[in-house]
Amino acid sequence: MMMTIKETAKPKTPDDWPTLLKDNARTGGQGQHPARSPEGAVWRLRTGSSVRSAPILDDGVLYVTSVNGVLHAIDVVTGTSKWKFQAAGQVHSTPSLSGDRILFGCDDGKVYAVDRHAGSKLWEAPTEAEVWASPVVRSGVVFFGSADARVYAVDAASGRTRWVQELAGRIYSTIYAAEHQLYVGCGDGKVYSLDASSGKILWSTLTGNGIDSSPAVAGDLVLIGSEDFWFYALNTSTGEVRWKYETGLGIASSPAVSGDMAVIGSKDGFLYALETQTGRLRWKTGVGEVVTAPPVFGDGVVCIQAGGTFSLDSATGNVVWRAALAGAIQSVPVLAGDTIYLTSLSSEVYALR
Amino acid sequence: MDRRTFVKAGCIGSASLLMEGLNPMVRADVPPAEVPPIELHGLPDYKASPLGMPGLFPGRVIEVRDPNAIVRNRISQPIVRHMLEHAMTELTGEKSAQAAWAKFVEPNDIVGIKINPSGAPACCSSPEILREIIGAVQSAGVPVRSILIYDRYSYEMDIGSYQTLLPPGVRIVGIQDAFVDSSGYDPNLYCAANFFGEWETRSYMANIVAQVVTKIINVPTMKDHSAAGVTGALKNLAYGTFNNVARSHRAPYSFTNPLIGLMCTVEPLRSKAVLHIMDGMRQVWHGGPLTQVQDFIDQPGILLVATDPVALDTIELEAIEKKRVERGAPSLWQHDANSITTNNDEFFHDASKNLFFRQPGHIAAAGKLGLGVADLKQIDHRPLLA
Repeated sequence: MMMTIKETAKPKTPDDWPTLLKDNARTGGQGQHPARSPEGAVWRLRTGSSVRSAPILDDGVLYVTSVNGVLHAIDVVTGTSKWKFQAAGQVHSTPSLSGDRILFGCDDGKVYAVDRHAGSKLWEAPTEAEVWASPVVRSGVVFFGSADARVYAVDAASGRTRWVQELAGRIYSTIYAAEHQLYVGCGDGKVYSLDASSGKILWSTLTGNGIDSSPAVAGDLVLIGSEDFWFYALNTSTGEVRWKYETGLGIASSPAVSGDMAVIGSKDGFLYALETQTGRLRWKTGVGEVVTAPPVFGDGVVCIQAGGTFSLDSATGNVVWRAALAGAIQSVPVLAGDTIYLTSLSSEVYALR
Repeated sequence: MDRRTFVKAGCIGSASLLMEGLNPMVRADVPPAEVPPIELHGLPDYKASPLGMPGLFPGRVIEVRDPNAIVRNRISQPIVRHMLEHAMTELTGEKSAQAAWAKFVEPNDIVGIKINPSGAPACCSSPEILREIIGAVQSAGVPVRSILIYDRYSYEMDIGSYQTLLPPGVRIVGIQDAFVDSSGYDPNLYCAANFFGEWETRSYMANIVAQVVTKIINVPTMKDHSAAGVTGALKNLAYGTFNNVARSHRAPYSFTNPLIGLMCTVEPLRSKAVLHIMDGMRQVWHGGPLTQVQDFIDQPGILLVATDPVALDTIELEAIEKKRVERGAPSLWQHDANSITTNNDEFFHDASKNLFFRQPGHIAAAGKLGLGVADLKQIDHRPLLA
């Protein structure tokens, strides 16, 4: 039977946020969201367990995974739960939307596809170790890495495996899926480019330590951080290092890109804004906390969850506002109109306005 | 405030710790009178292992130093490999590292490697050292699936990126996901005491120690500790195995002495902890255990190996005390009320201030419990160059 797959990871409306950092280009909330400080919480929901992942938003429903293995569908108007799906293991993976399917990885080694309306399981794709990375969907194919050191490509409709490619280290980095090439960081310290249709390794570039960070692409550059303290810009075609920038400690954060600027967080507690073509530093701002989560661009601001939540002027790096809530490891604010959705280590989901 | 402190105090810590019975930063109105009775409930009729603390080589501490082991805060994998091999052969007298490791682990063991991720990323058990330990355990015939890296708090392990940095196949386990999560603990194995009137007076032993692993390799770091004086092999085992331990502090007082040593005597923890490898690549001489302030973190490039945690911690205590003297900081033994502050930020940035009256005497107290040798004159300390 032929099944129609809606193209995914493209927001249907400006407020939709169907995958990590909004879309496959990881643009965040640029061009539509105010820099002003939120005045307070519209609602708060307790999930019953820590949230280590980032939420996604589609058609008025926020999807959040909590560590106790639950996928929550939350009505963004009321802040109440529409349904919950219980997976068989802990969940650290940011969900992703593919048509009517919510996809996420689980510590039981599976990627689950759950019906977004009914909250019921549609399929599951097995691996041999935990999946913390977010599944990424492109052209009807779901790509994800596993701690079993393999990259998987599965059919978005059925979960059937298309190909598997073995690498040499654990994979916690979320894949960047371009039209023909995939880019991903690996625990063996290498950045890999794979052929999207076959999984064949096109090139790999060694850094000085393992890679947690998820890559972004800006023009012909792959941008990614390494636990070796350096932030790299690699040629998308060859993997050649165009430039690299040294921070004070390891980088687990993933870059956000806006125009000719990339912003990355380091465990040294700073956010760095770098020119994508040259690596020149535009600004550097300390947030007083270890940064492991990705930053996200809003309209004239960069938001980051690092202990609390911070909003920085994207031109200067000056702190515009901060909120002493929503401590996070890998969570990213969802910027939707005049509302900001946050998840936290302490199990809460907030809607701030 | 550093990140972990923020996470603990600002987001989940204070409320949850209160739910557990005590926020350690709540000040005591009056000094506690004396150490209350402490009940220990270990595994009944457990046959103690000769490998258990103080282990095969009581009083022996091997110290290997290589200034090139850590350069600009990066650790050299090949140098660490050589240092560990050197230390293990010196400790055991064996000719090869493989033979040395075979004294401690067997192919059918489930080996737990107890790390110290608190203080990550500035100072925590180094993934480079863990990789070498994992490889060495495998060389003794233990399958990679039988090796677990563990600690109490999974979020601290996340900050250290251990999941990414360690080899595929090794299991990485956080005993609890949140401060109030007690599902990973054995209800029948515990230490019970009422220190400050807390409502939950028990600290339970982790299931992973009680039921899962058969051997423990302890990988503490080299740090001062605002309450215990230093945190080394003993504290990493005790306060990383039992839950609800923050209740033993109420600023500025702490019952880390004698609780740390007593916890280490509880079976099967005592028998399973067969080897202690102290990561002294970095050394925190003030602000421990959580500081991120690099001004107080040296990079001496040291590895200390022992089966005797008391002797090991005694050497660590001497090293950190010496460093504090060199830097003009008060002794770890100082109990001057004027040095006590209630301001975390002041503590983290001023080496003359502290949050508690430190209790480095917990090491000697553990020695009196038979866990090892605390008398420096009796310790066979062998400093070596790699």
